[in-house]
Amino acid sequence: MPKDATRAPETLLDIRNLSVDFRTPRGRVKALRDISFPIRRNRIVGIVGESGSGKSTVLWALLGLLAKNAEVTSGEVLFEDRDLLHASEAQLRATRGEEISVVFQDPMTSQIPVLTYGTQMRDILYRRPGLPTAEKRRMAVEMLGKVGIPDPDKRIDQYPHHFSGGMRQRAGIAMALLTGPQLLLADEPTTALDVTMEAQIIHLLQDLQKELDATVVVVSHNLGLIAELCDDVVVMYAGEVIEAGEVREIFHNAQHPYTRALLECDPARIDDVSRKLPVIPGDIPDLTKARSGCIYAPRCQRALPVCRDTFPPDVARGEMSLARCHLLAGPHHDPSWPPPLDVMTVGTGEAGARKPARVKRDDPLLDVSDLNVQFETVGPLRARLKGIRTRHVDAVLDVSLSIAPGETVGLVGESGSGKTTLGRTVLNLVPAQSGSVRFEGQEIRNMPEARFKPMRRDMAMMFQDPVGSLSPRKSVRALITEPFQIHGITGIDLDDEAERLAEMVRLPKAFLSRYPHELSGGQARRVGVARALALNPKLLIADEPTAGLDVSVQGEILNLMADLQAEHGLGYLIITHNLPVVRHIADRLAIMYLGRIVEEGRTDEVFARPVHPYTQALVEGVPQPDPDRRRAHVSISGEVPSLLNRPKGCDFAGRCPFAQDLCRAQKPPHVTMADGRQHACHFPLGH
Amino acid sequence: MLYYLTKRLGLSAAVIGLVVLVLFSLLHLIPGDPATIALGPRATPEAIARYAEKMHLDEPVWRQFLIYIGNALTGDLGLDVFSNRPVTAIIMERIGFTLALVCAGMGWAMLLGIPLGCLAAVKPGSWLDRVTGVLSVGTIAVPSFLVSIWALLIFAVQLRWLPAIGAGEPGQLGDQLSHLVLPAFAIGLSWVGYLARMVRASMLEVMGENYIRSARAFGLHPQRVIFGYALRVAILPTITLIGMGFGGMISSTVFAEIIFARPGIGKLIFDAVMARNFPIVQGAVLVATGLYILVVLFSDILIAWFDPRVRESL
Ligand SMILES: Nc1ncnc2c1ncn2[C@@H]1O[C@H](COP(=O)(O)OP(=O)(O)O)[C@@H](O)[C@H]1O
Ligand code: SF4
Ligand code: SF4
Ligand SMILES: [Mg+2]
Repeated sequence: MPKDATRAPETLLDIRNLSVDFRTPRGRVKALRDISFPIRRNRIVGIVGESGSGKSTVLWALLGLLAKNAEVTSGEVLFEDRDLLHASEAQLRATRGEEISVVFQDPMTSQIPVLTYGTQMRDILYRRPGLPTAEKRRMAVEMLGKVGIPDPDKRIDQYPHHFSGGMRQRAGIAMALLTGPQLLLADEPTTALDVTMEAQIIHLLQDLQKELDATVVVVSHNLGLIAELCDDVVVMYAGEVIEAGEVREIFHNAQHPYTRALLECDPARIDDVSRKLPVIPGDIPDLTKARSGCIYAPRCQRALPVCRDTFPPDVARGEMSLARCHLLAGPHHDPSWPPPLDVMTVGTGEAGARKPARVKRDDPLLDVSDLNVQFETVGPLRARLKGIRTRHVDAVLDVSLSIAPGETVGLVGESGSGKTTLGRTVLNLVPAQSGSVRFEGQEIRNMPEARFKPMRRDMAMMFQDPVGSLSPRKSVRALITEPFQIHGITGIDLDDEAERLAEMVRLPKAFLSRYPHELSGGQARRVGVARALALNPKLLIADEPTAGLDVSVQGEILNLMADLQAEHGLGYLIITHNLPVVRHIADRLAIMYLGRIVEEGRTDEVFARPVHPYTQALVEGVPQPDPDRRRAHVSISGEVPSLLNRPKGCDFAGRCPFAQDLCRAQKPPHVTMADGRQHACHFPLGH
Repeated sequence: MLYYLTKRLGLSAAVIGLVVLVLFSLLHLIPGDPATIALGPRATPEAIARYAEKMHLDEPVWRQFLIYIGNALTGDLGLDVFSNRPVTAIIMERIGFTLALVCAGMGWAMLLGIPLGCLAAVKPGSWLDRVTGVLSVGTIAVPSFLVSIWALLIFAVQLRWLPAIGAGEPGQLGDQLSHLVLPAFAIGLSWVGYLARMVRASMLEVMGENYIRSARAFGLHPQRVIFGYALRVAILPTITLIGMGFGGMISSTVFAEIIFARPGIGKLIFDAVMARNFPIVQGAVLVATGLYILVVLFSDILIAWFDPRVRESL
């Protein structure tokens, strides 16, 4: 019996006035603040927002699997007339996995390593005691086949570590869909994956949703994914739903200033390569505090005095769209809001367009040529006993690359393509087998550490995971002055240096006495930049400098790096798989595949006219934050082969839509074209 | 696998070789004539001469060492100084008692400690968890020889529930088992604490893993989640601990066997050391080392059986 007659029949799940607190030593974190929204049957609903906005908490709350310190303080979640929040544990268990199922964010850690997929899937079907084991296995094999796992009847007996990241996520989807649930929840299902894999998973989810008539809720901070995949969108900020609507309304006619700001910050949406990225200043508010007025007011560019003390109204537009803002209705209604999409409503952090750095091309800072790096895969004794003939894999193969002072080179490729190894080899952290690495004209490849040490000051590395790579017991002050101590530099005042560096990366002085866990993602990243630049290096190698950052903060870091480059004439090597980002910051791009550079050229040209089919696939693989520009097909299938079985001819031949016999027989050599662009393809596109 | 076995066997041989070397050097580093040392000051000159010949004491030390190893490989560990019986036979008579004691001690510790740790981890902060915590610290802190003495005084002397000394009549299983209870209790007690703590710690860690949350999100029964998923991973470090624990346990048997006057390797070594009966000491230590190596190897194989990632790296 429906509890509420006003509920539309197409509503499958109705979240009403849900509030969740987490009890922490700092006080109660009000992670969800009275949120309500319906989920319509047979739709793909996206929940989007910055990290910490409470997206995952919504999912876990409706599964009844919140962390132990969580408390649901109010609300109900109606799923087909049952209130999940007040269901017994046994009822919930009967719902989980059976009627509501989940695809997890990180397939690497969310599948138990010691059980085969066959066992894991049979366990999921345990509620069907009448079903013979052989039949359960058949169902599992069929589902694995459906999600695109080749040889499912063999691979079902394998363990998660036998699967690549993308395959694991496919298997995760198969596990979730095995019981034929009505509602599928997916928490950041592609965040841990490469662009090409992300596109494949998006399409898979779309196809399966249609085929199985399921309702899907996808949580993501990736606007491109939401635009590409979803029908309805819910935008969350700091534990509140601040806007909801159909995907086109959200992306083409966003009403809430925060939604607008998010869209404007997405580098994939910005075609003008002005290099200064827009940012939303400030951080997400402290969730232990009660809100008074609009929760977005401290960061809102349009905030009015009334916003700080009066709750904004929920202004409905269509039957299910609403936005929560004073500008939209009531005494402060502003008919000119929202402005057309091409008007920017957020600033770029600092005034003005990015000053281009002076690039001195003829005198390269770093010059890598024909570099080869091999890794030993098996020891000599083991190789002999097992009869393995090739004991090495080529992690970096014939790589040539140069970086001039003041220049930014983007190194792009899927995971496992050898980007990080190349970066580490340049820093003399990994021995190279052949080739040369020249820094300011001096050969440094395999230089003994004692001689290399003074040069290390001129070349800095910024690590991928700044919080993880920072010692948790050291204050920010100690962390950013650590390089001085490592290099035994005396005769300077460390406190002065700390303040200078903090100012350089625009970190308020008060932060110097904080510890890493007290920093937000963006702040930790700035500490990483400060550390890397402490000794005034000439070359900075940044490994995924913005991975895991929200779009609103990402711009801040990239703008900062750009300013520092303009000021100090630094050379940057940016290692990333985030194409929209490198497009904005890199002067030149090098695309790497299986240890080889397959294309290299000026960024604008590479994006406008890719020459190598792999580059084209990557460029087309980026989901566009525009629901009208959805891709009809996946640009590239399959995945990066293992280094252990490098194809004989072109490394890309197995996935290349243009591959011919020649490609499978002969490795394409590096060719320099008239305009200076380099590629390694027998049949370059457009030639 | 082949590579792994080769490596392990080589390693084991090296360890055993090292142990023999140490035992040998001990004998030869003590100033004085090795035969006199080995046989004690009251030995007759004939006995010394016999011993010197038997042990090839006129040969250079390195040859003696090789001869000893060669003999050991064929199962000949020399002769008991006093009874002149083969050391191998003497050890074989007693080894069963020690093995039974160690297995019973570790066995009951595992049967109690692992589930306790498991349940404590499932409900951290519950009364069961607190009791387990106190119990663990208590049992770990008390040395096993004290437990032996108390257990003997309370259950055998005062209450007369169980026999106090000996290993029971040969051939009578019931009697032998009842003689096993107190010593096994004594040497296993602290292991209940160790295991409960260890399992609790690793279970707590594993219960926080994403894949446990996945299993629960798929609606699996809590029992399956705890025992089929979490424990399966959490048990791995415990297996290593148990394997190594056997070594420690063999040394606790020395006390238990002395206090309960049980025959066994521990008591044998103790008596032999007191009587300076070096062939027995050498032989028994060698056998104990071999046993220990076997158990560790077995625990490693068990881990490989539980964990496919380990299995494939072999
Ligand atoms: N177990 C927990 N204990 C304390 N705070 C938590 C816990 N889980 C989440 N939070 C807090 O709740 C808020 C929302 O988190 P979450 O739902 O994970 O956001 P999102 O998924 O949007 O990144 C954040 O401020 C986060 O720090
Ligand atoms: S209510 Fe005010 S502060 Fe909040 S979003 Fe609207 S204009 Fe900005
Ligand atoms: S060489 Fe052939 S297979 Fe390789 S990228 Fe070019 S066309 Fe494709
Ligand atoms: Mg999340």
